[in-house]
Amino acid sequence: MIKNYFKIAFRNLLKHKGFTALNISGLAIGMTAGFLVLMYVGFELSYDKMHSKANSIYRVVADIKTPSETINANKAAWAVAPNLEKEFPEVLKATRITNFNLVVVRDDKKNIEENVIAVDSAFLDIFDFKLIKGEKKTLFKNPHNLVISEEIAEKYFGDVDPVGKQLDLDGYDDPGLIMGVMEKIPENSHIQADIIMSMITFTAPPDNRDEHWSNYNPYSYILVADGTDPKRLESKFPEFLEEKNGDQMRELQMFVTLFLEPFSDVYLASDRGGDITGNINNVYIFSIIGIFILLIASINFINLSTARSVERAREVGIRKVIGAGKNQLAFQFIGESIIVCLLSFLVALGLASLSLPYFNDLAGKTVSTGIFIEPINVFYLFVIALSIGVIAGIYPAIVLSAFKPVSVLKGSFSKGSKGVLLRKSLVVVQFTISIALIIGTIVIYKQMHFMRNQDLGFNKEHTLVIPTETGSSQEALRNRIEQIAEVEGTALTSSVPGTGNPAAYSEVENQNGDMQVANLDLYFVNEDFIEQLGMEVIAGRGFSRDFPSDSSKAMVINEKTVALLGYSNPEDAVGARYDQWGSNGQVIGVIKDFNFRSLQQDISPLTMRLDPTSTSLVTVKIQGQNISKGLSSIEDVWKSMKPADPFEYYFLDELFDAQYEAEEDFGNLFLSFALLAIFISCLGLLGLAAYSTVQRKKEIGIRKIIGASVVNIVNLLSKDFLKLVGISFIVAAPIAWYAMQSWLEDFAYKINVEWWMIALAGATAIIIALVTVSFQAITAAVANPVKSLRTE
Amino acid sequence: MANKILKLSQATREVNSGSNKIALLDSIDMEVKEGEFISLMGPSGSGKSTLLNCIGMLDNFTDGGYVFLGEPVHSMKERNRSKLYKEYIGFVFQAYHLIDELNVWENIETPLLYKNVKSSERKALVADMLDRFNIVGKKDLFPMQLSGGQQQLVGIARALIGNPKLILADEPTGNLNSKQSTEIMELFSELNKEGVTIIQATHSEQNASYGSRIINLLDGRIV
Repeated sequence: MIKNYFKIAFRNLLKHKGFTALNISGLAIGMTAGFLVLMYVGFELSYDKMHSKANSIYRVVADIKTPSETINANKAAWAVAPNLEKEFPEVLKATRITNFNLVVVRDDKKNIEENVIAVDSAFLDIFDFKLIKGEKKTLFKNPHNLVISEEIAEKYFGDVDPVGKQLDLDGYDDPGLIMGVMEKIPENSHIQADIIMSMITFTAPPDNRDEHWSNYNPYSYILVADGTDPKRLESKFPEFLEEKNGDQMRELQMFVTLFLEPFSDVYLASDRGGDITGNINNVYIFSIIGIFILLIASINFINLSTARSVERAREVGIRKVIGAGKNQLAFQFIGESIIVCLLSFLVALGLASLSLPYFNDLAGKTVSTGIFIEPINVFYLFVIALSIGVIAGIYPAIVLSAFKPVSVLKGSFSKGSKGVLLRKSLVVVQFTISIALIIGTIVIYKQMHFMRNQDLGFNKEHTLVIPTETGSSQEALRNRIEQIAEVEGTALTSSVPGTGNPAAYSEVENQNGDMQVANLDLYFVNEDFIEQLGMEVIAGRGFSRDFPSDSSKAMVINEKTVALLGYSNPEDAVGARYDQWGSNGQVIGVIKDFNFRSLQQDISPLTMRLDPTSTSLVTVKIQGQNISKGLSSIEDVWKSMKPADPFEYYFLDELFDAQYEAEEDFGNLFLSFALLAIFISCLGLLGLAAYSTVQRKKEIGIRKIIGASVVNIVNLLSKDFLKLVGISFIVAAPIAWYAMQSWLEDFAYKINVEWWMIALAGATAIIIALVTVSFQAITAAVANPVKSLRTE
Repeated sequence: MANKILKLSQATREVNSGSNKIALLDSIDMEVKEGEFISLMGPSGSGKSTLLNCIGMLDNFTDGGYVFLGEPVHSMKERNRSKLYKEYIGFVFQAYHLIDELNVWENIETPLLYKNVKSSERKALVADMLDRFNIVGKKDLFPMQLSGGQQQLVGIARALIGNPKLILADEPTGNLNSKQSTEIMELFSELNKEGVTIIQATHSEQNASYGSRIINLLDGRIV
């Protein structure tokens, strides 16, 4: 019996090659998209799941309340982790993690390693990163101990076993001693490193960082005993902090509250972020899009099946007469639908396999290296395919198996009247989704464009940023660069917009004359920086070599700082006293706010001071027309002065825009899925149009004979579909408008969703639908009516 | 005396056309005994096909009594009725109504599939049937590859495979030329001699002459 069904199903599929191709390709494309989304979502959810004790690991974070603000830090002070481990029996292990760069000297060449962390000795007791060589117990116990990844081992030692070997580290008194080799940390870990150094390198005397309670540099993780209630543990922290650090907190007016974040929430769910973070909203958005695309594809399948079911009425009639029961027939049709879905499933696996590299590119990360790496995803897709088969098969099965054999066989069966409303509603659903996705794409791209072209309050064009050591060599380099003809000028700074910058414990005189405590962002610059980046001084003056006291007693603040301190007028803030990181003096000027972070974030209060020991970046303005020539001249200067050091540089505009990489990846993914959605919807429309054209062949023939023109016929056939797209537009517009407004909420600087974006999306959908449908309609309209009437 | 297969008493079939009721069949009284070969005759629209469909339980009388093998069909539930016709009745159509996607063997086999007959038994029965109708050589062909007469042979083979008591044939030779017609009618009369009860609807006097009894219909009444 089953064999018989299979036979019939395959023969049917072969007989209607066009429909089969349409069905399978639409479904397969939809399933491919669904599968890729499944892998993406699975990958995002898989972050940090590789640790066996993941459920007992917490990240310790701090809220720091100053009289001016509350800072939600994702880090804790240096002293927190070791003291938690010491004081609380339920805290079994603790480690801090800091990121930094190492310069490895090899054969007189300096190699910059950027993916380096320092950790405490409990690191591998807490986390299960795989050690290939070395003894776990001995790791990270002494200063300058290193664990390196296989790739680093290969890079510096080739095939030689690196354990026990040394690496010369620029800026360190002792060479690094390699104690172990680890497997490359998988991409789905928010803790990443190629080289891990022992934390004791930095915490040992004379620094004694284990007792620093107010410097928030390291991330801190603790492993707690089984059955520990994190809330109860948290509730013991205030007393602990009071005992350890109460006096200092009161003195600095910085009051700290510690919280525990479950380790598995850090990547996706924490609103405090980290160096590597995901976005749970994106996961939701893509899950929804994935479901939508699958839905669109399934709707195609249902629509084409029900539309075509009428053609099989005769077969149903015959089968009933020769003894088929209703259930047997229903089973047959559901079976056929399952077969189509499973064929599509196979095609989808192939397509997914082919498109995976491009998808990884689009997603901006290696979501997966192969579709069978996570077999569970394949299984999920199989289940999805099977379910679509059953669900899509049920409706045609019910309709078909209910046919009365007498009416079918006599031919009095009314063609196509069944399920028309259902088909139309489903088409509306498809196009609603498609139009909403198009609107989304337009808004996302417009927002990206807006962010790239927004006036940031500083000039980022043609500016080269070169990291160097500070001091006399920097000054010499700067002098040489300034002599290059294509260079317009240079400046020095500790940070540029896009790199991040330190925040400093500060006391500044407010409008009441009190010293107000606040945690303020801080740029160390030289006298040329403000002018070079084209920032506007709106009160007082910028730093100047004409005022020797500027070098140690002057501060420039931005408008936000003025507002924070309560001054109604920037002029009033000039002359305010400050005390910051052991230096004190007066505010000499106020600059206009500029966006030193991405436009997702508001501008925060910023201070600037001169400090030649901290300005490790040289910024070089090059003439716009001569960028490449200027760049190569600078490189020549660098090579002649610092032959051992690699010439590293970046352009300020690129650096700044790199902050939008995640948004850009998101936008590209979104666009791809929107295109897929509309493409699959059109496939369905094409099928329905083809079908309805065939059905109305006779009507078209008669109309032509009584004088209808080709245009009349095309209108006749297209009108119905356009109406559906129109309804979809009306449904989609408010939904998309609302959804995109809330997406834009995340941006501090944003566009509005404007009517033309929605209209453009509607027009696009209508044009695409029109082209799709009229292709069929024109074919039908130009056909010879005599022919179609004769065959009827 | 032969057993009664079916009995109609005052059987009526009405349809609504607008606000009017039109009787397609009007107060038919009729009895069919086992082994009979009845020809229903009458012009187009006289109700021949409707009567066959109603007897075959594909359609229902709207009034009157219908007893099939002692069972009152008129008061039966749909489910039981279809059970009854699947068991005892085979249909032959003017347009053959074979399934295009199945070959000859499979077309004949399908009714057995629906009766859940075992595979080995199915093979034997279908092989017998092919043999009996001399179409063994055509078993792998599809309906499109057969002549009309051959298709009708397959149609009859399919009707007979379930070993029915009654064959209902609606203009079985209507689409055939005279030579093919003769062959089919001779086959029917042979089957009849073997004991199969047959009711055929036909326009042709010559076809009717193969039967044992003729019932003439006009405007839904027996005349």
